[in-house]
Amino acid sequence: MLVFDHVSKCFGDLRAVDDLSFELEAGEVFGLLGPNGAGKTTAINMAVGLLEPDEGVVRFADEAFDRNPRDAENRRSLGLAPQSIALYEQISGADNLRFFGRLHGLRGSDLEERVAACLDFADLVDVGKKVVSKYSGGMQRRLNLAVAIIHDPELVLLDEPTVGVDPQSRNAIFERVEQLRDEGKQVVYTTHYMEEAQRLCDRVAILDRGRLMALDTVPALITAHGGPGNLVVRTGDGESRHETTDPLGTLAELQARQAVDHFQYLPPDLETVFLNLTGRALRD
Amino acid sequence: MNKIVAMAAKDIHILFRDKLGFFFTIFFPLMMAIFFGAMFAGLSRGPASIPIALVDADRTAGSARFVGRLEAAGGLAIERIPGDQALEQVRRGQTAVLVTLRPGFGAALDNPFVATPEVEMSVDPTQFAAAGMVRGVLLEAAGAELQAFMSDPSRMSVTNEQNRRLIEEFSPPSEARDDLLNVLDQIPRIPVLIDEAGLGSVTTGATGGFGPPLEIEQTQVQAQRRGPTNSYATSFAQAMLWTLIGGSVSFSMSIAIERSRGTLMRLLVAPITARQLLAAKGLACLGATLFTSSALITLGITVFGVTPTSYPLLALALLCGSICFCGIMMVLSVIGRTEQAAAGVGWGIALPFTMLGGGMVPLFLMPEWMQTLGNISPMKWTLIAYEGAIWRGFTLSEMLLPCAVLVAIGVLAFSIGATRLRWDTG
Ligand SMILES: Nc1ncnc2c1ncn2[C@@H]1O[C@H](COP(=O)(O)OP(=O)(O)OP(=O)(O)O)[C@@H](O)[C@H]1O
Ligand SMILES: [Mg+2]
Repeated sequence: MLVFDHVSKCFGDLRAVDDLSFELEAGEVFGLLGPNGAGKTTAINMAVGLLEPDEGVVRFADEAFDRNPRDAENRRSLGLAPQSIALYEQISGADNLRFFGRLHGLRGSDLEERVAACLDFADLVDVGKKVVSKYSGGMQRRLNLAVAIIHDPELVLLDEPTVGVDPQSRNAIFERVEQLRDEGKQVVYTTHYMEEAQRLCDRVAILDRGRLMALDTVPALITAHGGPGNLVVRTGDGESRHETTDPLGTLAELQARQAVDHFQYLPPDLETVFLNLTGRALRD
Repeated sequence: MNKIVAMAAKDIHILFRDKLGFFFTIFFPLMMAIFFGAMFAGLSRGPASIPIALVDADRTAGSARFVGRLEAAGGLAIERIPGDQALEQVRRGQTAVLVTLRPGFGAALDNPFVATPEVEMSVDPTQFAAAGMVRGVLLEAAGAELQAFMSDPSRMSVTNEQNRRLIEEFSPPSEARDDLLNVLDQIPRIPVLIDEAGLGSVTTGATGGFGPPLEIEQTQVQAQRRGPTNSYATSFAQAMLWTLIGGSVSFSMSIAIERSRGTLMRLLVAPITARQLLAAKGLACLGATLFTSSALITLGITVFGVTPTSYPLLALALLCGSICFCGIMMVLSVIGRTEQAAAGVGWGIALPFTMLGGGMVPLFLMPEWMQTLGNISPMKWTLIAYEGAIWRGFTLSEMLLPCAVLVAIGVLAFSIGATRLRWDTG
């Protein structure tokens, strides 16, 4: 179980992560949502021991994380798919999987089984023997994810796993994350795409400038921070938009004044929550 | 161990997949070997003055005078050495020709009627041209010596008196003995007679009737080499050095590449220690450079007729050279944190040291002072070790110095690099 306990990390004057606390629950996909520079990657790096917190503790399975010397047992039970693709481009996809599998102590038929399973997981069976530099962006992304799970870890950390891929690959990645959840793994998923968090994450932590703004399930966040929805109606005068928390009442009111040809209700979504919490100013 | 081997194997795999890396570690050195080998093969090596080693086994006033004459003659760079070190020095290629003045040399000079001065020349089979020139200078000096003798009636009188006493002591009175003594009496008059006969300017006339003024016994010393018989022997040693340089620069870049491509992050998250990572990099570099340098010399042996003087010592030299450069690789990867910096720093440092160390102009063609300065270059020690086994004919004990220097540099550099290397990902 991954636990952040009042964790802070500074780079010079910049507090990249500021007093962050959360606790993962068994079998959930946990979303870290935040604009650019919010501190998502910094948090992930502390979770895997690449960075040491300046304050607070990161714990895993109730044991204190030791960065150096690193505890092999802890490392075996977590898998990281870094934000930027981290693969050996000169060798094949299968060889990448094989190499990282060996580093995790897999050998012989166990290793080959896992390599085959991961190629299948990433839909790369046909191109497994091709060198990675010949892969498309989507294929590389999928392999980047597959390498993270070659050793079948309990906790999988995915740092923006869908950056720069087409809708097909993105959808495939969603399905894979859902598959991981169904296998009972814990997944930490960072993104700044709202619809991804809304679709995949059981709980979402919204980060901004290193601070935790909100943490809850998606519906609860919407109820708490979503504000009113939008009712869009078309009449003889054209289209108009009305903010409302009671769409039926508002519709009846409008219809009493003028015939409504067409209407659509847009409920508040995570994006509204996100913008309400983090503001509309541009980030880096 | 399994993990270290896996990481090393991956690095080697990637190195040979990488076309540029392959170019610098194999193709470029091979081209250099062939190019320079062919170039020096067609180039006659003729230094301005021929270096010879000289042993004066006679040690008389006469032999000293003769050496003085040789030195004054020019054309030879004479190094006087004690007799017991002579062959050793020549065999190591420090001099082209060894000249030994045999005992009795001075006595024969002072008494040309009774004996001919003898010298011994030990010559490498490849140095016949040089040997011919040395022979000429020796004969000329001996001729001049004889002429000086002949034109000095007082020296001749002294010699005559000695000879007369010898003849009178050992030969019973007879007609022949009287004739011989008469001839002796006439000899001091020869220069005067030559002058009177108008032959004063014909110097060689003085030696007429005495045969060659010097007896030269020439022997071949097989191992005696200053430069190798086959110019590819030098150029392949250089190529092997270049493959070490290429390999160490490539591997120093590989850590920077792992950092920039993010794979270092994966390695650090995997259950391996920093120590294992270092060991793997070292092992990969060692394996790759050993393989490439062995491949090059194998090609040199099978295709270009290079004949190493000792295969076990060659193996030792290969190993020590690779150890040295894997240590250097570690230091380079600390200095160059990005790919471009690693490559720039690597080649920037390697080139001057290589030039100084004989990686471009062969060591044996470099001036003395530069060879001395080259001692600070690991490249020089590598070449000495390689050449020691390929053509210099080193013995094990001669091989120990360069090998110890190489291993010491390698271990020192590796530990400096390993402690300074920062395993951060950014
Ligand atoms: N090694 C570092 N040194 C200095 N500053 C850093 C370092 N790593 C991150 N930062 C800074 O810390 C802040 C948080 O960065 P981080 O990469 O964690 O953000 P992020 O949420 O992952 O953003 P993105 O969506 O762009 O990936 C940023 O302002 C970044 O510039
Ligand atoms: Mg990030």
